[in-house]
Amino acid sequence: MKGYLALFYDVVKKWGITLSSHETIIKAEHLVKRYGDFYAVNGVDFEVHRGEVFGLLGPNGAGKTTTLEMLVGLRKPDEGTAWIGEFDIRKDLERIKEVIGVQLQSTTLFELLTVEEILKMYASFYPKHISIPELIEDMILTDKRKSRIKSLSGGQKQRLAIALALVHDPWIIFLDEPTTGLDPQARRTLWDIVLNLKQKGKTIMLTTHYMDEAHVLCDRIAIMDQGKMIALDTPENLVKNLQSDSAVEFRVDENAPFHLEDIKGVTQIGGHKDVQVLYTDNLQETLTSLIETASEKGLKLTDLQTRTATLEDVFIHMTGRSLREG
Amino acid sequence: MKAYWQLTLAQLRIFLRNRQVLFWTLAFPIFLMVMLGSFLGNGNGMSVTIGYVDLDHSSQSKQLAGVLKKNEAISLEKAFSKKDALAQLKQGDVQLVVEVPKGYEKRMKDSSQNEKPFSLPVFYNETDMAVSQIGQQLVYNAVDAVSKQKADYKPAVVINPKGVEALNLRYIDFLVPGIVAMMILSNNMNGVAGQIASWRERGILRRMQGTTLKAHTFIAAQITARLMLNGLQALIVLMVARLVFDVEVRGSWLTLISFVILGTLAFMAIGFIIAGIAKTPESAGPIAGFLSFPMLFLGGVFFPIKNMPEFLQPIVHILPIAHLTTAMRETMNVGASFMSLGTEALVLGGWIIGAFIVASLTFKWE
Repeated sequence: MKGYLALFYDVVKKWGITLSSHETIIKAEHLVKRYGDFYAVNGVDFEVHRGEVFGLLGPNGAGKTTTLEMLVGLRKPDEGTAWIGEFDIRKDLERIKEVIGVQLQSTTLFELLTVEEILKMYASFYPKHISIPELIEDMILTDKRKSRIKSLSGGQKQRLAIALALVHDPWIIFLDEPTTGLDPQARRTLWDIVLNLKQKGKTIMLTTHYMDEAHVLCDRIAIMDQGKMIALDTPENLVKNLQSDSAVEFRVDENAPFHLEDIKGVTQIGGHKDVQVLYTDNLQETLTSLIETASEKGLKLTDLQTRTATLEDVFIHMTGRSLREG
Repeated sequence: MKAYWQLTLAQLRIFLRNRQVLFWTLAFPIFLMVMLGSFLGNGNGMSVTIGYVDLDHSSQSKQLAGVLKKNEAISLEKAFSKKDALAQLKQGDVQLVVEVPKGYEKRMKDSSQNEKPFSLPVFYNETDMAVSQIGQQLVYNAVDAVSKQKADYKPAVVINPKGVEALNLRYIDFLVPGIVAMMILSNNMNGVAGQIASWRERGILRRMQGTTLKAHTFIAAQITARLMLNGLQALIVLMVARLVFDVEVRGSWLTLISFVILGTLAFMAIGFIIAGIAKTPESAGPIAGFLSFPMLFLGGVFFPIKNMPEFLQPIVHILPIAHLTTAMRETMNVGASFMSLGTEALVLGGWIIGAFIVASLTFKWE
């Protein structure tokens, strides 16, 4: 009997965890945003689970920001809708604004106010707010609390923008390109902040065009390109689905009679412009074969390098273009 | 309510910390007042230049010149010949020419024997009747004084000199209410248009739109902060006017403040419309300039509205600035009560309501 009961509890616990970790908090259904004939977002569906960090990855102009701005009510979708909790973004925007926090890509703040003053001001816009000194502490701005916004560094301004998104203790935090334009040190500080927020149980949806950032921060990633969602999975699965561990990258004269398919161990061929990328599970075999073939044909390989396959490769593989090309 | 106070406070902080804007918005009206006041403010509101052709060269003719000179409204310019003087009159350098013919003294000395008074030729410019008539009146007064003195005349009735003083406003008295009105116009219309357009461009408004903040709370806070600041600025300009030029407020301060508030609201609403129309902060400036310049010149800020050409009068009488300057002037110079300025208050009120309706239709957060 005791054994059955323990088993029962185990099952409940397991199911309970499974259920809670898959509780949908954002549900987007066929979101479309058009500007004239141009589809900025062209029928996007996805779900975000409570407590996860959900990333929208893609080059500039892929529709990431437009998607995010529709969710926070700054743009009206032309078709489709989305729910934040049980609230519909077409109807319950006022309720939604109480439970979400946003950091927008190109926000400037009142430059002549101090950190503390602007936080107090934003706190006053909401029915309730969290302790401002604690928030300033969490965002590592304690030294700067009496400083004017004008005097802050890029990283400090970005942390302040996130602090403003957190001031009313929202369930979900939307971060639009939070680390764009920051130096590596400031980016890492920001990553820590995002991971801390996750620890505290917040749901975070962010956009980025840095694949390393997406990999470090996100539980699941949606890859967007030209207004469409082309993949949605965990970073590990996305890379695994490439079916290759390694990538070999090199340059070679484009007009050379070079049949990459003949090289041994190649699972996939990618590349853009004059850069060729070979994906393989057997790096040594492929590399040897590549060099032999090149020698036989008298071709000159330049910038030859090997690496493990990354999200960047997933993107190149799916679109034939690099993330940075836009 | 908390949001309203916080936003008002934030706006006031921004104003006070933006030292340069604060300085120049105050420096400009004060500078203008001191400049115009020093050049034009001394003496009467209007002065007439009279060409004086003395052909008699006698003590009598000098005495007449002395009497004319004593009047502050007259600046006397001696001419050597009638021909020169008339040429100057035609050019508009002088507004009137008085000719004292030969034999003036002789006639004056034995005037008692003559039934007919001596007639003094006075030439005036027919195209500028208003000034000519005032000038003729001034010459008449001088001649009258001389004749009365001659006849040993004792007046039976005198006019009350206090009454004369009250009507005799200096240009600076006319100017100060106009400058306060101009300040209200430019600080609010240009100020709101520029600031809102720039906040929109920089995404400041957009970020606020992402919160539960209501647009009307934001606008109400803007209005409150600007009213406080404008009240203060108007007060400073009036203090300077009082201390430097001895300009006083004859009417009630309450009436004056009421019109400062009405003017602020009307021009702020127009500023919100411009901010709504302007696509970029760069275009907000020229649009505001396009509207404010004609208003400054037509609206009675520097020159009386009555001096405007006839065909412009209907336009002038629609302008909010015209009613604001009139109301401020009547309050400060004449001491009119709020009740007697009902038309001005109504027109400004109409502008406030109309402009706020249009502003709310054209207002965009982004």
